[in-house]
Amino acid sequence: MGLGRYITARVAWAAVVSLIIVTITFVLLAAAPNPSIREAATQAALQGGDPAAAAERERELRGLNEPLHVRYLDFLQSVYTLDWGWSQHRSQPVTEALWEGLYYTAQYSIPWTILTVILGPIVGVYSAANMYSWKDHAATGFAFFGYAIPNFFFGIILLLIFGVWLDVIPVVYDTSVPLFSLDNVIQLIIPVFVLVTGSIGATMRVSRNESAEFQNSDFMKTAKAKGVSPLRAYAYHVMRPTLVPLSTTLVGQLLALFLGSSLLVEVVFGIPGLGRLTFDALVAQDTNLVLGATLVFTFIAVVGNLVEDLVFTILDPRISYDDR
Amino acid sequence: MATKKPERFDQVDWSELSESGRLDLSINSIGMVITSLPVVLLGLYDWRFIGDRTDTFEFIGLSRNLESLDYFFIFTLLLFFFYLILPLAQNPRMTKYYWKEFKRNRPAVVSLGWLLIVFAGGLLGPLVISAPEQDILIGHQPPVFLSVDAANVANCVGDIVGGQCQGTWEYPLGTTRGGKSVFTSIIYGMTISMQIAFITTTIVAAIGISFGTVSAYAGGWVDEVLMRFVDIILSFPTLLMFLLILYIYGAGLGMFILVFSLFAWGGTARYVRSKSLSVSEEEYIKASRISGASTYRVVRKHVVPNTASSIITQLTLLIPGFLLAEAQLAFLGLGDSNIPSWGQLISAGRSDLAFAPWIVLAPGIVLFLTILAFNFLGDALLDALNPEAEAESE
Repeated sequence: MGLGRYITARVAWAAVVSLIIVTITFVLLAAAPNPSIREAATQAALQGGDPAAAAERERELRGLNEPLHVRYLDFLQSVYTLDWGWSQHRSQPVTEALWEGLYYTAQYSIPWTILTVILGPIVGVYSAANMYSWKDHAATGFAFFGYAIPNFFFGIILLLIFGVWLDVIPVVYDTSVPLFSLDNVIQLIIPVFVLVTGSIGATMRVSRNESAEFQNSDFMKTAKAKGVSPLRAYAYHVMRPTLVPLSTTLVGQLLALFLGSSLLVEVVFGIPGLGRLTFDALVAQDTNLVLGATLVFTFIAVVGNLVEDLVFTILDPRISYDDR
Repeated sequence: MATKKPERFDQVDWSELSESGRLDLSINSIGMVITSLPVVLLGLYDWRFIGDRTDTFEFIGLSRNLESLDYFFIFTLLLFFFYLILPLAQNPRMTKYYWKEFKRNRPAVVSLGWLLIVFAGGLLGPLVISAPEQDILIGHQPPVFLSVDAANVANCVGDIVGGQCQGTWEYPLGTTRGGKSVFTSIIYGMTISMQIAFITTTIVAAIGISFGTVSAYAGGWVDEVLMRFVDIILSFPTLLMFLLILYIYGAGLGMFILVFSLFAWGGTARYVRSKSLSVSEEEYIKASRISGASTYRVVRKHVVPNTASSIITQLTLLIPGFLLAEAQLAFLGLGDSNIPSWGQLISAGRSDLAFAPWIVLAPGIVLFLTILAFNFLGDALLDALNPEAEAESE
C-alpha cells in the first residue's frame, strides 16, 4: 500500500468513526425520554390543560412520531450540514453560541499549546543533557508535580494566592477587555500557567527518555569531535530524532487534556468558553446545545487523532503501512 | 508451590503436570470460590429477602448497609488477594527479587507506604470511625495547631485566645461549613477512591486481557475487527460521553465506574495484543505446543502470566486518571452527591476558600499525593518488572 492509499484509507476510517460516535449519540438520545416533552406536559398541567395532549403535540412538533430510521437519517443530515438547531437557554442558534465560546477558548488554548509544544521538548532535552544533576532532578520533580496536581485544584489555589491574598490578578474573568491588551494578558497568565504545568510533564518525560538514547550515539560523538557547538549539536542532532516519537503521543495527550481541563479551568476562572458553555447547557437542560458541544469536542478528537497518524507516517518513512 | 528450600529445576511438581482437565482448580481458585460464595449468598439475600430500607446486617444487630458497589468491591478485593498477593507469597524467591529491584527507587517505596495507608484507611476507617455528621453549630472549625479569626466561626469548640479560635484534636483537620469533620470525610473518601481504583482496574483488566489475547490468537479478520473496535473505543471522548449520559439518564458512582472502565480498556487491549504476539513466538510456547497443550492452556498458563507484569504497570498508571475524573466531576457538582468523595469535599469548601482554606486544601493535597504515589509506583514497577524496558530507556 502506498502513502496515498494509506492516507485515503485513514481519512475514510476517521469518517467512519465520527459516524459511529454520532450514531451512538443518537441512540442515547432516542432511548431516553426527551426533557422538552416532559416540560410541555408540566406546562400544560400547570395551566389547566391536558398534559397528555400537550405531550402528544410536542412529539408531533419535534417529529418524534416518525419511524426511527427517518429520524435517524434526518438527524445525520442535520449534524453533517451543521443545522444544529436553536439554543433555548442562550436564545441564539447553537452554531453561533459555539463560535462565541470558541473565541474565548482559543484565547488561552493557543498560547497554552504553543508553550507546551516548544517548552516541553526543550526542557526535556536539557534535562537529558544534564542527566542526574540537580537540574535534571528539579525538572523531573516539576514534571511530576504538574502531572499529579489536579488542574482545577491548582487553579483554585493560585486564584486564592494571587487573586484574593495578593490581589494582583482579577478573580473573575472580564470579557470586556480588548483582545490584545495588557489586562487580557494578565488575566490569562494563571489559566495558561495551570494548563501548561499540567501538560508539559508528560512531554518533558518522553523527550527526556527518548533523547537520552541519542546522547551517546555515534553521530553526536562525530559532531562533538568536529567541534560543533553544543547548542547546535543538540538542536540539530538530538532534537530532531526526539521529535518523531514525541509527535505520536503529543496530540493525543493534548486533546485528552483539552477535553477534560478546558471545562474545569473555564469553570474555575469563569472564562465563558466552550467548556463553560457545555457546563451551563447541562445545568440549564438545553439539549440542543449539549449535543452541539459534544459533537464539537468529538470532531476535534477524531480530527486530532487523524492528523496525528498522518503526521507520524509522513515524518517517519520507516513505518510500513501494510500491517496497520 | 511453597517450599521451604530454594526452588530447584529438578523438582518436578507432578500435581501441576497431571492437571489435565480444565476443571482442576489451583489452591488460589479454590480459595477464591470458597470466599466469594458467602459474599454472593449475602448479596442474593440482600437483594431478594430484605427491603430496600433495611440494613443488610440487621439480623445480627449491626446497622450497616451494603450497596451493590460494596459487593463488587469485596469481590475485587478477593480477586486481588488470591491472584496477586497470594502468588507473591507462594513464590518467595521472585518476590524477594522484585522487592530488591523495587527498593532501589526510594520515592516509590514512600509512595507504596502512602497507598497502603490510604488502602487501610479506606478499608478499616469506616468500620472504626462513624460517618461524618452534619452539625451546623460547629461549622468552620480550624485544624488543630491553627487558628482563625473568631468572627468567622459561629461556635468555637476550642479556646478563643485573643480573638482567635484555636483548633482542637476533636476535629484534627477542621470542619466544613456544615460542621462535618474534614478528617473523617477524607477517611470516608479513601473508601470511595479505593473502590474506584479496584473496580475499574478489574473491569479494564478483564476486558483488555480477553480482547488482547483473543485478538492475538485468532488473527485474520477477527483480529482486524477487534482492533478497529479498539480504535473506536480509544477515540471516544469518555468524559463528554459520561456528561451526555449523565444529562439524559442521571448517573451515580456505579454508572461513573461502569462508563469510565468500559471506555478505558482500549490501551490495555492493544498492549496485551502486541505483548502476547511477541510472547507466542518464544521457544517455550512452541515446546508446550509440541507437548500437546491446548490453546486455552497455552494462553492461560504461559501467555497471560508472561504479559502480567506489563499489564500491572499499565493499570497502575490508569488509576490516577479515574481518581482525577471523579474529583473533577464532583467539583463541577455533576458527581454523585450521596457519596463523601474528596472531590465533593473540595467543591463544598470552594465558596469559603478565603477564610477557611483547609476545607479545600486538605482533600486536595491528599488527592494530589495519591495521584503522585500511583505515578511513582507505576514508574518503579516498570523498572522492577521489566528490566528490558529500563535498559531501553537509558
